[in-house]
Amino acid sequence: MPRIELINVTKKWGNFVAVDNLNMIIEDREFVTLLGPSGCGKTTTLRMIAGLETPTAGKIIIGDRVVFDSDKGINVSASNRDIGFLFQNYALWPHMTVYKNISFGLENLKWKKEDIKNRVNEVMETLQISEFRDRYPSELSGGQQQRVAIARTLAPNPQVLFMDEPLSNLDAKLRSEMRTELKRLHKDTDSTFVYVTHDQLEAMTLASRMCLINKGLLQQYDKPLSVYNFPINLFVADFVGSPTMNFMNAKAKQESENVINLEVLDIKIKYTSNEPVKLKGENVIIGIRPEFLLIRDGGSIHGLAYSTLPSGMETTVKINLKDKILSAVQFGAVDYAFDQKINFDIIGKGVVLFDEESKVSFALGSCEVIK
Amino acid sequence: MRKMSFSKIWNKTKTFFSKPANIILLFFTVLLTAAVIYPLISLILDSFMVQSISEAREINETWGTAVKKGDFTWAQWPNLLFNENSEYSLYFFWQPLYKSVLMALLACVIAVLGGGILAWLITRSNLPMKKYISAVFIFPYIMPSWSIAMFWENFFKNTNVPAANGMGILQALTGICVPESLVYGLIPCALVLGIHYAPFAYILIGGILRNMDANLEEAATILKSSRFKILRRITLPIVAPALISTILLVFASSISSYTVPAFLNANNSFTSISIAMRGLIITAGKKGQGYVVAVILLAFSVLILTINNWFTRSRRSFTTVSGKSGQVSKFRIGNKPWIKWVVGGVIVAFVSFFAVVPLASFVLESLLETSGNYATMTFKYWFSPENFDVRITAQGQSSQGIFFNSTIWKAFGRSVLVASVVALIAGTFGILIGYAVSKNRRSRIANYVSSTAFLPYLIPALSFGAIFFSLTFKEGFQWLNVSSTNNEMSAVAICILVAAIKFLPFASRSGTNAMLQVSGEIEEAAIITGCPWWKRMTHVLFPIQKSSLISGYLLPFISCMRELTLFVLITSSFSLLTNVLQFYDVYGMNQISNAINLLIVVFVIGVNFLINKLTGASIDKGIGG
Repeated sequence: MPRIELINVTKKWGNFVAVDNLNMIIEDREFVTLLGPSGCGKTTTLRMIAGLETPTAGKIIIGDRVVFDSDKGINVSASNRDIGFLFQNYALWPHMTVYKNISFGLENLKWKKEDIKNRVNEVMETLQISEFRDRYPSELSGGQQQRVAIARTLAPNPQVLFMDEPLSNLDAKLRSEMRTELKRLHKDTDSTFVYVTHDQLEAMTLASRMCLINKGLLQQYDKPLSVYNFPINLFVADFVGSPTMNFMNAKAKQESENVINLEVLDIKIKYTSNEPVKLKGENVIIGIRPEFLLIRDGGSIHGLAYSTLPSGMETTVKINLKDKILSAVQFGAVDYAFDQKINFDIIGKGVVLFDEESKVSFALGSCEVIK
Repeated sequence: MRKMSFSKIWNKTKTFFSKPANIILLFFTVLLTAAVIYPLISLILDSFMVQSISEAREINETWGTAVKKGDFTWAQWPNLLFNENSEYSLYFFWQPLYKSVLMALLACVIAVLGGGILAWLITRSNLPMKKYISAVFIFPYIMPSWSIAMFWENFFKNTNVPAANGMGILQALTGICVPESLVYGLIPCALVLGIHYAPFAYILIGGILRNMDANLEEAATILKSSRFKILRRITLPIVAPALISTILLVFASSISSYTVPAFLNANNSFTSISIAMRGLIITAGKKGQGYVVAVILLAFSVLILTINNWFTRSRRSFTTVSGKSGQVSKFRIGNKPWIKWVVGGVIVAFVSFFAVVPLASFVLESLLETSGNYATMTFKYWFSPENFDVRITAQGQSSQGIFFNSTIWKAFGRSVLVASVVALIAGTFGILIGYAVSKNRRSRIANYVSSTAFLPYLIPALSFGAIFFSLTFKEGFQWLNVSSTNNEMSAVAICILVAAIKFLPFASRSGTNAMLQVSGEIEEAAIITGCPWWKRMTHVLFPIQKSSLISGYLLPFISCMRELTLFVLITSSFSLLTNVLQFYDVYGMNQISNAINLLIVVFVIGVNFLINKLTGASIDKGIGG
């Protein structure tokens, strides 16, 4: 069964490096999302694995077959890689009916007529588009087009399925519906999914593992919650999570093996690391997820309500702490008056410390304000 | 180390050739270099070569040299450009050039004003009868430019003009005699060319106005700009690139127009540069100088292309704006509703005059024994099997009525053959080039192929003919020279070659535009299903852009049917229908030449109409993209 391996894959356009020496392994039946800001090289990576783009250097293995090797001159074409590809704009053929769109690929694979008919009917059934079989793509809504595109991709039973931001053209409600179904589909089809997105929420909720890419370089490749809880560097910490993590510059001093004393905006904090750490420089950045800022009457840190954004189930509170704006999340609907005094604490064991110079995280722990 | 780099190159080559688009690019790089660049260079070299024995004698006499035929010489250029001997240069080069530039400038102004104003009225005002106007306005562009010239003569000629034979329609109906300067010479030539190219301006400018995001103008309305301020400050700057392109392309086509000045020319008083060039090439002993003119016309075109590229490069982004929003509120013509009907009526009358009346005039002229005298109406020039002119019969050609005239029908057959094969070649090449270029938009080789494929558009038809005319004298190509083989199939063969290259620009433009509109994912989706390349072309890409791509076939076909200038050097007087038309015209058989004209125009319009109804393709899709 297919396990995808990328070894030192590089793609350059002239002097521009789109993907730089990428190494990653996608295990069989995984659901991997490639996540990063636009232009970071994630789509290029996906297209290289699929065979739509030729890497400048490196080696790509799908299953036990080398599909690309720049040194040996191997380059298996996309049509022979036994893959499915779901495009951002669906790429439905506008001059073919829904049925024809789905059957066209099977005809190219020289399936028997009877088998084609059965298979097309089957996938149309699965995706609930049987009633549209004789319609043209332009006569379908965006969501229906999306289903046809998925049906077309699934029809030949590909072992690996590549998806390039397939939900970005749908409205918010439909997108969340399709997310649920895609995750279900992954289980039902029993195949490997590789999924490109710039939406961190989508990446988090769908993936069994997520891969963060920035400027062509792999940043972190891990389970979504591991990435969320202990981001490897400042970029990842900032990119994953909404509202984003709060960052503050701090002066640090090693107190004992596990304890570091911090001074943030004139507030003295005792930081207790979960594991023993060794401080490298005195300049650090402290990163606190919004859910670790707990607003309560007896809170030891004092700020002002800058703005309150209730969404019903939860409320994002922007706190002005000495002209630094922090985000806190509170369960349920609350509304603070502008510039109302707010007291809060830093709770939990998930506060991250980054080295200011290298921007790399080095400790995970808890905070306690020293009075 | 060395072995490593070799295998790397080998791998790269393999990857390169695994893509059909790259193979196509390579194929056309070779083909276009051979068919466009090589002849260009050979033309330039020919202008530095002694072309004949009499030419050698003349050069030796003037310059005291001892050159033979085939030698290199600088003398052609000064001999043509700075020969003050009885003001030779003035009469044979500078004056014709001056007249042609003037004619082309006037034609530009007429075409851009006429086409542009109409385009604005159609897209932005409440002008009535828009559908009829925009359909009929295209006619003068589908018609050969010289058929408008012939119509002009038919209509305005009168008994006060000595060079004309007989009375024109205007004089016959009203008795009005216009002065000679409105019948023959600079002004009518410029007007006719302007009318011919106005639809071209209309298509280009109208295309931009239609695609322009209406929000841009609405935003200005909301900011309280007046309608005219919007036109001046928003609309005009946005269509400016198209405007400039139109001006330059019309100028390039007009300056080298041969047929229009050839028809509207009384006693050779209006010698345009192209007429001068043809004279030089046909006259023994001046061929080299003719090539010098061809090179100079070429230089004009290259200059124009450069200017055009310079203008459009920085502003290209404007032309791709396309909006989702609906139409802007329409400009109201006049305060009262009847005013717009008057304006509409005037425009309808005007476009009909140049679309419908010419056809009527051709019918009429083919039926009149004496032009302008309606008492002499006869059907014999259509139905009589007798020969009318012994001078023509003496040359072994028929001068019978149209339906019995073997010379005409054989030429018609050859014209259709040439046009069909040319359309097939140019159209198919255009699609392939469009495909390959759209797949490699930023690559240098794609740029080379697309600009080389466009180059023939800017090479004046007569120069282009001259290039291949000189080729037919070279070793190995003489079988293409109809005057030495005396076989019309030679003419057919070289006409196919020349026209396929000359009309490739239309096809490659529409092919590229059509292919760029299809997102790459559409093809990739088919690649993944294992669909082979040829099937992707025939089952996916072609059907999606069917109408635009068929336009790429239609345009060369129509252009080829009505072409004369391009073929005039490389054909005999009987090869193609347009040759035959000119031949009968020279022998004063106006009835037959008018009838042939009618035949061509009706055939071309008919084919255009038929293809349009069957496939949805139309020539404006081909040009406007």
